[in-house]
Amino acid sequence: MKKVILQSAVATAISISMLTSATAQESSALDIGRLAIAGYGDVTYIEQSNMKDEEGNDVQNNVVARFVPIFLFQMSEKIHIEAELEFSTNAEGETETELEYANMHYFYNDNTIITAGKFLLPFGQFGANLHPSWINKAASNPGIYGGHGGNGALGGVTGIWNDTGINIANTWNLGDAGRVFTDFYTVSGPRQEEGDHGGGVEIESKKGDNNDSMAFGGRIAYAFLPEWEIGMSYYSGAYSDDGDLDYNAYNIDFNWVGSYASVRGEIFGSTAETEGEEEGEEEGHGEEWVKDFDKRGWYIQGTWQARQLGKAWLNPVEFVVRYSDIESDFDGSVDHDFEEDGGKTGSRVYYGVNYWLEPSAVLKLGAESTSIDNEAASHTTVPDDRIFLQLAFGF
Amino acid sequence: MKLIKIMFTFLALTLNTFSIQAQHVSDPELVAEGAKAYSENCARCHNARPAEEYSKKEWSVVIPHMRAKAHMTGKEALAVEAFLASTLTADVRNARDYENRTTTRSGAELVTQFGCQGCHQLKGEGGKLGPSLDNVVINRGETFILNKLMDPKFNNAASAMPKYPMSEEDIKAIIDFLRN
Ligand code: HEC
Ligand code: HEC
Repeated sequence: MKKVILQSAVATAISISMLTSATAQESSALDIGRLAIAGYGDVTYIEQSNMKDEEGNDVQNNVVARFVPIFLFQMSEKIHIEAELEFSTNAEGETETELEYANMHYFYNDNTIITAGKFLLPFGQFGANLHPSWINKAASNPGIYGGHGGNGALGGVTGIWNDTGINIANTWNLGDAGRVFTDFYTVSGPRQEEGDHGGGVEIESKKGDNNDSMAFGGRIAYAFLPEWEIGMSYYSGAYSDDGDLDYNAYNIDFNWVGSYASVRGEIFGSTAETEGEEEGEEEGHGEEWVKDFDKRGWYIQGTWQARQLGKAWLNPVEFVVRYSDIESDFDGSVDHDFEEDGGKTGSRVYYGVNYWLEPSAVLKLGAESTSIDNEAASHTTVPDDRIFLQLAFGF
Repeated sequence: MKLIKIMFTFLALTLNTFSIQAQHVSDPELVAEGAKAYSENCARCHNARPAEEYSKKEWSVVIPHMRAKAHMTGKEALAVEAFLASTLTADVRNARDYENRTTTRSGAELVTQFGCQGCHQLKGEGGKLGPSLDNVVINRGETFILNKLMDPKFNNAASAMPKYPMSEEDIKAIIDFLRN
């Protein structure tokens, strides 16, 4: 079913493009290229006492690096293909490779873009637009998003990053009243986590779908450029193997970007249905239940460029502060599949100074400190404070 | 299935509005529009990337990627491309094109042609990516502006301002224009 939709979308896209390419060709006298290679990379040094990975092992390696090339192809004025590969070393010193996205944009008309393939989901701002390290003003992810290589003692809300399917994006220009951006997509959807901790929600498209229901979602944003953008995102899909349990999430993002300063934030909430059984009397089975487990979080981030002071030596300097907070329903009273989340809610604050070497190359010095709300419910209590030194570049 | 229906409704709604206008890319109006679209869109997510980082050919491939990210219309994306291209010469190092300069251009013409007001305000008109240029000659001095226009990164490594292919006479003409 999923395949059929994708195939027919691609086929429609291609046939429409044949009809219109004749008129589009003559429209520009630009130097038209075919291929461009861009991307980003970073090297991060993390200083943390008693550093443990997600399994509680001692961390071997406190320098991690990433190289993320992006391949862009212009097949015609209407069809554009892009792929991003991530090569990274993790805290255990292993090298990981991941396909972040590989998709085709079909520029259907002046204000509609159809995207098919594996793409970054337009859910909030951070995952889709702000996570590349030369764009992210901090050396770490907001506390509500688990980072690559874990999030320390604080557990993120299940991130909604990338998936396979189809998206349709539109721009509605309201003239002086601003503009509205819409995205609607259907993708293969979340799956049930495997392994010891099993049962939780996992959004990882590389394994394919585990049930025959697709997830869907979208984002509607109002933008008053250049300064304001406010977006609302929604995501819904069945995650259990039998397709009975749902995972729903919403996100509200706001962005203010001024000439010297910026303020951004997101509110992110998710509900995962989980099932279980009451303790049975004697041999028999108890009553089955399905409960909603909510997890909510938010973050707010402010940046300021010292360039505003008009002193030449301060031109490359930027300051960053970010506060993140997570709370969940977990109180330890029922045994359920999200047990892992126990002791993982709390708040985190990041302070940083950035020194810009180029518009897309930056040296970041940051300090992060976390306070856990319910330490008693936690499996491991590791001090979750660290210092970062990161060199990040986009090319 | 419901979503697919919604998607096709969207398609139908937007189908009829499409026609790219055959507008020549060196059209100063298109360049000015492009400078404005650039200053409004290209610093929303990341530091704006100055034109000289890529060749015209590379920009023509990068801009569709950014059109999708930024939810820009096709017309805006084309204008941004035209603006970026207008500041780039065929020369890899973007050397000033003395040969092509047959007539001297006035400061006002140059300021229009290079889309300065896409990013800067002049007498209350223009974009806000860069600071207002109203009293810039008095506040900063002539040498500073000369240096800035020769190499925008001379005092700010992260500057988004393009390195324009202009001669020193061009720059002097702009300074004279900005003085008033
Ligand atoms: C909605 C956010 C957003 C906006 C608006 C935006 N960009 Fe980007 N830009 C990105 C992201 C995210 C990347 C990193 C590429 C990636 O991860 O796919 C990027 C990368 C780039 C790159 C590096 C090359 C590449 O394609 O990866 C250039 C150059 C660039 N942007 C220029 C621009 C220009 C010019 C504009 C204005 C027309 C613009 N950007 C507007 C988000 C944005
Ligand atoms: C793409 C946007 C853009 C365009 C187009 C642009 N500038 Fe700029 N300009 C900037 C930005 C951003 C700054 C501030 C950051 C910096 O110091 O580079 C700046 C700074 C300046 C400054 C220094 C102001 C100060 O007080 O420090 C001058 C002078 C200037 N621009 C003149 C011009 C002129 C003249 C033109 C047209 C030939 C022009 N700019 C075109 C973006 C632009």
